[in-house]
Amino acid sequence: MPVTSVRRAHQPDGGGPRLRPPAHRVSPRAIAHWAIEYLLLWGLGLGLAWGVAAWIDDADWDGLPGWMIERVWWLPFLIGVAGVLMVTVAPVWRYRVHRWEVSSDVVYTRTGWFSREWLLVPVSRIQTVDTEQGWLERMLGLATIEVNTASHAGSSEVAGLPVAVATRLAEDLARRAHDLRDDAT
Amino acid sequence: MNVQEEGRGSPPSDDPGDDHIPEASAERDGAEPGGAESGGAESGSVKPGGVEPVALRLHPLTFVVGAARELIALLAAGAAGLAVGGLSTAFYFTLVGLGIGFVFHLATWATFTYTVHEDRIALRRALIGRSVKTIPRDRIRGVDISATLAHRVLGLAIVHIDAGADGGEGELNAVSLQEAERLRKVLLARASTAAERAAPEPQRRVLGRMESRWYVYAPLSGAYLLTPFALAGSLLGTLYNLSDDFGLITRDRLENLGHEVVGLPTLVVIILAILFLIAMPVMSVIVFTLFNWDFTVYERDGSVVAERGLMTRRSVSLERRRIRGVELADNPFERLAGVVRLGALVTGLGDAAHRGRLLPAAPGTAVESLARRVLGPPPAPLIMHPRGARSRRITRAVAPPAGVGVLAVLAGQPWVAYGCAVVALLAVPLGIDRYRQLGHASDGERLTVRSGSLRRRQAVVEHGAVVGWRIRQTLFQRRLGLATLVVAVGAGDGGYPAVDMAEEDAPAFAAEITPAWLDPFLTR
Repeated sequence: MPVTSVRRAHQPDGGGPRLRPPAHRVSPRAIAHWAIEYLLLWGLGLGLAWGVAAWIDDADWDGLPGWMIERVWWLPFLIGVAGVLMVTVAPVWRYRVHRWEVSSDVVYTRTGWFSREWLLVPVSRIQTVDTEQGWLERMLGLATIEVNTASHAGSSEVAGLPVAVATRLAEDLARRAHDLRDDAT
Repeated sequence: MNVQEEGRGSPPSDDPGDDHIPEASAERDGAEPGGAESGGAESGSVKPGGVEPVALRLHPLTFVVGAARELIALLAAGAAGLAVGGLSTAFYFTLVGLGIGFVFHLATWATFTYTVHEDRIALRRALIGRSVKTIPRDRIRGVDISATLAHRVLGLAIVHIDAGADGGEGELNAVSLQEAERLRKVLLARASTAAERAAPEPQRRVLGRMESRWYVYAPLSGAYLLTPFALAGSLLGTLYNLSDDFGLITRDRLENLGHEVVGLPTLVVIILAILFLIAMPVMSVIVFTLFNWDFTVYERDGSVVAERGLMTRRSVSLERRRIRGVELADNPFERLAGVVRLGALVTGLGDAAHRGRLLPAAPGTAVESLARRVLGPPPAPLIMHPRGARSRRITRAVAPPAGVGVLAVLAGQPWVAYGCAVVALLAVPLGIDRYRQLGHASDGERLTVRSGSLRRRQAVVEHGAVVGWRIRQTLFQRRLGLATLVVAVGAGDGGYPAVDMAEEDAPAFAAEITPAWLDPFLTR
């Protein structure tokens, strides 16, 4: 084991090994899934903002500075623009980031979009494997696998897998986790 | 003893037997008979192939403790009632309430039994409907014994059985002290260590102990400084409620009181305030001492036991093999004084912040030597994080007050904006200190990560306790070539972050600790 307890300077790029991305993409239908989800969420937000703006406009309330009341309709407008961006950009971005791979003894995932997360969970530390399907996922034939360890920080979720893949993977992982289980917890 | 400790290079979890057996058997010949007798008589219930397990009741005096509170309430109510004007209706109600409470306590006692089976402990309740709570013995992760003042007067103790997140927990309130000790011994001894269980009373080996002058560190932690307020508040609240119940509080009196307080001369108010300020640290030392009196950490039976408290003596047993790490915490004041708090990271321990405590306040050297005895030497020195992390720490410290300040300007509140500007300026040194406290390191067996300034925390974790790695990188971090590595651990908080490491150091650090997990995914 190399001795590392020595102060060392930040190495310039290209020094150390890098993590390669996991091998498999999730199903392209996941884009539709995320888009619909964002659409519903931001649609709701837009509706609420609209309502609030209309209410403030009507109520003649002087608890806010004048310039805010004059521009109160900016609120739903801004939320609408952000929502359109989210619905169009984020799902594709996410699809490009989301990847997964199961090697002989590690579940390796990459998730996120604006910020990314790489998660490595060894099969031997897995406690439970769940598959889940929300109503939207059921319509699109997708499923989510949840891999839980004794730590919430070490629990991963692979969303947007085709149902058949998810089921097979969950069974496989559960069986192997049972065989390999060691008592780290 | 020192030699043994120095020699222990491996994690302590795998050597419970080595230290104990020779000395234990020596003890068997000599001064043993008294201690184990009570255990011997009853432990027939757990020996394989022995007698059918016996259902045991709690100690008969239990209801006295339960009823004591109501008794005190009754006495207070009675005295107050008499003072107000003879026996009022409220007083009779209290009396009836006490009677019902008494019967209830008696019935609860009579209908509750517990049985220690070979593989489980069953707590059976039959007062209203029947319920049996079964805790598998291999799930039991800790057995705490505590006793309030009332319990101690009667020689009783509360046994709290902790069985992790999925096993639930059970409480025996209350049993005799001997029975509590016996239960702890029986429940913590695992089936595999039958030999160890058969050995007589194991010796306790003190690992660490509070020294009397350390109690003075109490005000530094800040947590105990507010105790005078809390005490005064609860006292006033109780007084108000009590006198309200007996109709002592009328609108007139309240108003009079208000006028009197307002009418006090300024000097008196200032003196009162100063007295209160002086009282704060003094009270904090007193309260701290009450809770942590004679804080002792010792090792027994493959468990690390922490005992503390003056009025309520509390002891927490942490099974050694479940201690997967320690956490050192301090704040800037404590750092100046060189004081550190030590806690254990234990798998499946509920309320870990309180129950995993190993030293509430002690000089750094004492904490480190205890950490070394409980877990092993923490890796040192720490590797600093790259420069980019500093600007990020400063930005993140300054941004919130600056943001509020901008909002305040927009909303036309200049004074709030000035305040925010001052806070934002103060946040710069805070950010710099946060950066300086960042660090990580690893040796052959343990890894450590440190972060925070106002509450600096350094976690030391055994390599074997890592259950996964999470690397996080926001767009901003990516621009600076940074990433945060979270060590997922099935103990303590569940995850300990090494904030803003160099991008390529994060996988390298993980690969160094668990090469087999990372290697398939690394490219040079």
